[in-house]
Amino acid sequence: MISYTLNVNGIDYPVAADQGRNLLSVLRTEVGLTGTKEGCDDCECGACMVLLDGQPVNSCSYLAVQAQGRAVTTVEGLQQGDEMHPLQRNILEEGGVQCGFCTPGMLVSACALLERNPSPSEEDVRIGLSGNLCRCTGYAKIVKAVQRTAAELQS
Amino acid sequence: MSPTTTAPRFVRADGPDKVTGSGRYTADLTLTGALVAKFKYAEVSHARITKLDVSAARAIPGVFAVLTQDDVPDVRFGPFVQDRTLFARDVVRFEGEILAAVAAVDVPTAQRALNAIVVEYAPLPVVNDIEAALSPDAPLVHADWSDYGAAGPIVRDRNDASMASIAKGDVDKGMAEADVVVHSRYVADGCHAAPIEPRAVLAQWEGNKVTIWTSTQVPFDARAGVCETLELPANRVRIIVPHLGGGFGGKCGFHYEAHVAALARATKRPVRLVFSRREEFVAPDRRREGIVFDLETGVRRDGTITARKVWLAIDNGAYTADAGFFSQLAAMHALGPYQVPHAFAEAHLVYTNHQPSGSVRAPTAPQTCWALESHTDEVAKAIGMDPVEFRLKNAVATGKEGPSGQVYDEIGLVDCIRAAADGAGYGQALPDDEAIGVAIGWWPSFSVPSGAYVKIDGDGSGQIITGAQECGTGAVMTLRQLVADELGMQAEDFELVYQDTSVAPYDMGATGSQTLFNNGRAAVAAAGQIAEQLKQLAAEQLEANPADIVLADGAASVAGTPSRSVPIAELAGIAAGGELLIGHGSGAPPAPPEVVGATCVGDVGMTAWVAPQFSCHAVRVKVDRDTGVARVLHVSAAHDSGTIINPVGATGQVEGAVLMGIGQALTEGTRYDDEAKQRNAALLEYKLQTCADAPPIDIHFVEIDTPNAGPRGAKGLAEAPNVATAAAISNAIAAIIGTPVRQLPMTAERVWSTVNGIEGSPA
Repeated sequence: MISYTLNVNGIDYPVAADQGRNLLSVLRTEVGLTGTKEGCDDCECGACMVLLDGQPVNSCSYLAVQAQGRAVTTVEGLQQGDEMHPLQRNILEEGGVQCGFCTPGMLVSACALLERNPSPSEEDVRIGLSGNLCRCTGYAKIVKAVQRTAAELQS
Repeated sequence: MSPTTTAPRFVRADGPDKVTGSGRYTADLTLTGALVAKFKYAEVSHARITKLDVSAARAIPGVFAVLTQDDVPDVRFGPFVQDRTLFARDVVRFEGEILAAVAAVDVPTAQRALNAIVVEYAPLPVVNDIEAALSPDAPLVHADWSDYGAAGPIVRDRNDASMASIAKGDVDKGMAEADVVVHSRYVADGCHAAPIEPRAVLAQWEGNKVTIWTSTQVPFDARAGVCETLELPANRVRIIVPHLGGGFGGKCGFHYEAHVAALARATKRPVRLVFSRREEFVAPDRRREGIVFDLETGVRRDGTITARKVWLAIDNGAYTADAGFFSQLAAMHALGPYQVPHAFAEAHLVYTNHQPSGSVRAPTAPQTCWALESHTDEVAKAIGMDPVEFRLKNAVATGKEGPSGQVYDEIGLVDCIRAAADGAGYGQALPDDEAIGVAIGWWPSFSVPSGAYVKIDGDGSGQIITGAQECGTGAVMTLRQLVADELGMQAEDFELVYQDTSVAPYDMGATGSQTLFNNGRAAVAAAGQIAEQLKQLAAEQLEANPADIVLADGAASVAGTPSRSVPIAELAGIAAGGELLIGHGSGAPPAPPEVVGATCVGDVGMTAWVAPQFSCHAVRVKVDRDTGVARVLHVSAAHDSGTIINPVGATGQVEGAVLMGIGQALTEGTRYDDEAKQRNAALLEYKLQTCADAPPIDIHFVEIDTPNAGPRGAKGLAEAPNVATAAAISNAIAAIIGTPVRQLPMTAERVWSTVNGIEGSPA
């Protein structure tokens, strides 16, 4: 058991946990943010995706201690106050949410994508989100939501 | 009938929870003092248990309980065949069978306890092949099968857990009338529902009552399972489902609620179970079934079908779960939505030592449609007829008789065929490595009891309290609009209270595409009672006749005199001081239609379909002959699911189901080793379609005025779009390479082997 600090969504959290614990498990149990989901624990599904200094990582396969000194962003950190992030609003309005279990990881991936490529083509979006499995939607409405968000943010 | 669409943009009521991360799924919950549950699995496919010693595991500090079948009521259960116990008793029959359950303070301690359980086996012969299992000298999966209880109509014999037939006319006479008889064999592998949320259960006892939070699609069915196996009355078991992370049938039925409740009772502590992805693949009794098909169709040169004869055998796996009705259902799908004057179908549900099969999105239908529709293209080719023309000539239509003798009321299959083919540009010139394949499918609407309450409180805000379960489809979300429209209010005026068996009346759950069809009827009936109350109250306020009161735009008005009006919120305030605004609804489920001219063995009511749904998919595919890789370029999907009430939800169902169908067609198949264990129980080896794989999908709804449908003429929709995609892909591949691929999934290896005329079956 070691003690360290994790900065999650702009807040410093003191953590005491075994050093073998992955970031996903520490976020969900020690930090208490359950928005980030576990779908496979093996980097296969993307449900656990978070941002580390703006870069998407599968938190199931990343040691929590390695996130020290870096900015962790989870789905709970996408909102600005009570205002939804445009991606959150658009994925709802386009109908890109069904069961919602992949949604947090999908939103985090999409945020990272728009950060590095503010005007992605449809192909860019499809490749950018291909590490996030969704079993409900067939992805079409998710892709539309990301493209709509890109257009909104550009204008 | 013109489409009765509601809001132009439907935003689901549970959406904000789901996009902000505030929504709680079962694995997000815990309780103070909760223990960790873990299961000890058989890990062998068929063996007699010669020793099972849990004493060392129980002695480990931090282990609160280790349970086996000796520690729970000795109940055999199963909705069709009572062939299963909570824990293995004497014999294990598949690798994911549970021997023991552990409750411990944390995961490492629970794991140490599992390792300390001593189990010894005497091996039994492994039944790994569906057809071999039907041979008279095959080893029995259940030596005591004849002692088991079973539902009345189920016909069983040794490894055959449910045999069914459909016979109409004289099939030999029909074959004799044919100019050409085409015979085909197809084999479909099993596959998985694979929801992204692995299942979880949390149970807590207070006195003699237990509350179970669980990721089930069918809370009332889960409750029934707990009651049966732990011998409890229904009113002492409360099932609550937090947000559910997808199901696709995989979370139907009764799973681990009783195991966790038994652990919680034994330890006097809350107990929490969360599955790993591997457990999700291997343990549940809800895998899509593999099927072997033998199909024969007699046809005249002019394209008229004279007879069809089918034999099929379904992989039941080790226990029957809810698959008891699959044989008759698959028999219907194998005869297909065609006018067949002489028909005979024989279907067997066969025990093997595989993971048990169970309802996954349109059970038996995608594989059977794949086999029948691939066969149908072979039939059309044999007489030199265009496959679309052949289907237009033979498909069931309004007023025509189907293969079980049901004569169809208003249906839209022919329109679906035309819409899908047109949408795909069928007939256009394509490169020689591309083709458009076409397939038709059908699926029943399930007419079953269902209940809901509606109440409006004194401030004019309402609640819909329903037994219905939301698994992601949005069907429960749509109830707000139905209720609001009955009362002249807005959907946003209502909150949903759902997924709690102790609060709401019965509903069958998120299964059988039945939520809108049945619970929609119930919610509308409940709202109707409140509408009558409001009209009475308004009549008193406005000194008018209740029959003249109209509810619209949040107010009750006298018809023709809009100035004589009172806000509904004001009426609600008056009611709060007197007779409260409470409605309850169920409504009579539509009765099944008559079937004439067919006789059935093993009849479980699957030959006559209320408000049947029809579809046609036309899919453009490109095949690389050098590698065998098939890629779907475009899908045109046409559906008769009656009136479309929520277009955003409906198109979302079709898009998701089509992509699942593409996975089932090309990449999703369970492979077994020689010991009947799964070789690809992980998402890297069992490949779901990604965002980059998904083709454009054009959707055409053929809205038909359906008799005996659900609210506003709606039928079901969630399963139907999963039926015809793999079949259409198969027909496109066959058109490109000249011959069908006779195994599902049609992997690159199998396509390549077919191109190169290599016999045998690459796994």
